[in-house]
Amino acid sequence: MSDNKSTQDLLVVDQIQTYIGQFHILEGVSLKVPKESITVMLGRNGAGKTTTLKSILGLTPPQEGRVIFDGTEIQGKRAFNIANLGIGYVPENRAIFRALTVMENLKLAERKRGDLNRKADFIFNLFPDLKRLYKLPGNHLSGGQQQMLAVARALVPDNKLLLIDEPSEGLAPILIQQMMEAIRTLSTTTTVLLVEQNFIMASQLAQRYYIIDDGKSVREGKMSDLVKDEKLIHRYLGASIKSIKR
Amino acid sequence: MKPNLKKALIISTVALLLIALVGGGWRYLGTKTFVRTTLSGLTLGSLFFMVAAGLTLIFGLMDVLNFAHGAMFMLGGYIGWQTYTNPTFIFGLAPSFFAFATGVLILPAIKSYLINLTIGEKLQKAIPRIAYVLATLLALIAFLKLNILDLADTAMVAITTTATSNPLMELSAQEPLSVYWFRPLLLLISGLLVAVALAKPGDKTEFAPKENILPKLILPVFMLVATIIFVFVRESAPQAILLMDGTWRFFLSLLLAIGFGFIFGAVIEITLIRPLYVRSFFIVLLTLGLSFVIREVVQLLWDPLAYQMVRPPLFNQPGKAANLWDWFQNHNSTLDIFGVTFPSYRLFIIALGILMFIFITILMNKSRLGMIIRAGVQDPEMVEALGINVRQVFTFVFAIGVALAALGGIGAAPFIPIQPLMGDQFQMQGFITVVIGGMGSYIGAFIGAFILGMARAFGDYFALKFSLSPAIAEASTVIIMIIVLTIRPSGLFGKKE
Repeated sequence: MSDNKSTQDLLVVDQIQTYIGQFHILEGVSLKVPKESITVMLGRNGAGKTTTLKSILGLTPPQEGRVIFDGTEIQGKRAFNIANLGIGYVPENRAIFRALTVMENLKLAERKRGDLNRKADFIFNLFPDLKRLYKLPGNHLSGGQQQMLAVARALVPDNKLLLIDEPSEGLAPILIQQMMEAIRTLSTTTTVLLVEQNFIMASQLAQRYYIIDDGKSVREGKMSDLVKDEKLIHRYLGASIKSIKR
Repeated sequence: MKPNLKKALIISTVALLLIALVGGGWRYLGTKTFVRTTLSGLTLGSLFFMVAAGLTLIFGLMDVLNFAHGAMFMLGGYIGWQTYTNPTFIFGLAPSFFAFATGVLILPAIKSYLINLTIGEKLQKAIPRIAYVLATLLALIAFLKLNILDLADTAMVAITTTATSNPLMELSAQEPLSVYWFRPLLLLISGLLVAVALAKPGDKTEFAPKENILPKLILPVFMLVATIIFVFVRESAPQAILLMDGTWRFFLSLLLAIGFGFIFGAVIEITLIRPLYVRSFFIVLLTLGLSFVIREVVQLLWDPLAYQMVRPPLFNQPGKAANLWDWFQNHNSTLDIFGVTFPSYRLFIIALGILMFIFITILMNKSRLGMIIRAGVQDPEMVEALGINVRQVFTFVFAIGVALAALGGIGAAPFIPIQPLMGDQFQMQGFITVVIGGMGSYIGAFIGAFILGMARAFGDYFALKFSLSPAIAEASTVIIMIIVLTIRPSGLFGKKE
């Protein structure tokens, strides 16, 4: 790897292998996420996309391989240490804290005192709804509102990288549109690694793609090339192809 | 149905039921009996809450059922009582404690240097072990010559201390400084070794940036100063404290019990419980075993006797106060409430329970720690993903839980006999309280505790009146638990699974 390249890639995942209990979930995933871009991971359900995100963050630490973030090796470090280097995580199930209000959910994500005050305007510009819901407890939010809060929570501290897992899952089409706009706006200032089942959304947002299949990264390339390659889409993404045609 | 409407309906039903119960009970029993029984119920409920509060906090966040909670309650009682009657014990051990703490607390300052060392894998595993063994050996050598039983023994006699006679001096002649100083020194080295072991030299799983270490040295230096001060005051301080006003001495012993509980809880969590979170069933066995160990150590130190702690002067003046204001001026031992003569110390217990509840409410709702706890109850993994060291929060919550238990122990000590089993019945009731209130809910624990207290008090009254076995009153709490669980399997304030 040349020096020039390593400065361009914010995150390099090199052949990681992850076990969860007895199960060998990741059998060699490699990724490179260039700075200030959107990279998407595609693949069937159970292919290991979510586990890849969790392995990067140290929630399910990889047993083999290397993860390099911003020039530091982070594999095997504890999750809170890794997050504090500047990685935000928006999990698949949103994981909004139900007992906390919207404000407290955001406040909890602060790494330095006053993070929320600094970022409030930016967040409320992206998701105006949250301002209205500020004092409401998390369990009173709808699915879409929870998703917005989950993304907003990752924006409170100064994160260099956002790991976003299925932001469109279970959202109404109009909300998907809003979420896409939001993520596009984000990517101008930070780097995004996205997992997305909705191929339309993925193809419109991302510049680069990786296909994960059976716990391995099998293909990579420019998104614009993948859109033309129906065979490849059919082979690895299967059912997803219908959503393109529709 | 709208959740708000449902809530209002439930609250109004409960309120009506309560009014019916109170009104019916009042008419049926007459004012005096009713008030007396209610007040004992409140006292008991308050004691139950002191145990249940820590239990439910710890269970809610970490799913740990702490079977040693009653033993920690008891230990708090002993430590507080020992401070109150004879601080020699505390001051004899304080320099050693502070010296050890100085060593251990140097950890944050040296961690970044040790972690970044490049050490072979074998040596990496061996260093902490060697350090622990050496630390233990040094600590053993340090305590070899200390007659700890002597320090604990004088407790009963110390009550007679006056400005002119000092029975402490004759009872336990202290070692001269020339002999004494080596003990803190050995423990300082032992603490340093433990710090090295805890830092895990060469271990790369944590980041420890090499930042300015000066602020991290403040605490160890403070501890070192404390060590030196306590070495010199170890003989004069106990008498000075015994000559203090008894009420202040009592509050001092409350504070000391809290501090002791906090440190004890933190040490237990870090050393014993932390390695077992992945096998949660073992934690039950561990805490159960720990409760036996604590009890045996207490029996060794203080003999398997029951002691009665003298009530602090604030609650011990002869005569009966006509009302609360009167008591406030005269500090009488009893108080007139609706024509009932009631010990004023019991009112203090009730107040202490309510104060604890207020403290927990503020902690949970107004502090960042409370926010982290409420979030961590639901999803500790996500809290960690936000960049919060959940392991540290676990330690802190366990320490707070044990500190609350220890405070409960010394709070209860002037009211119940101090003996090695004093925590056990409260632990049982504490578990029932937590189950009734809903695992992890401190509001549920508060309300559950008072329901149980009332059940016990009124059960005792009726058992006596109809000459039934007093076992009925004891069974009543379990019966309430069964009823509550049939209607709401997750407890009154528990989250539905």
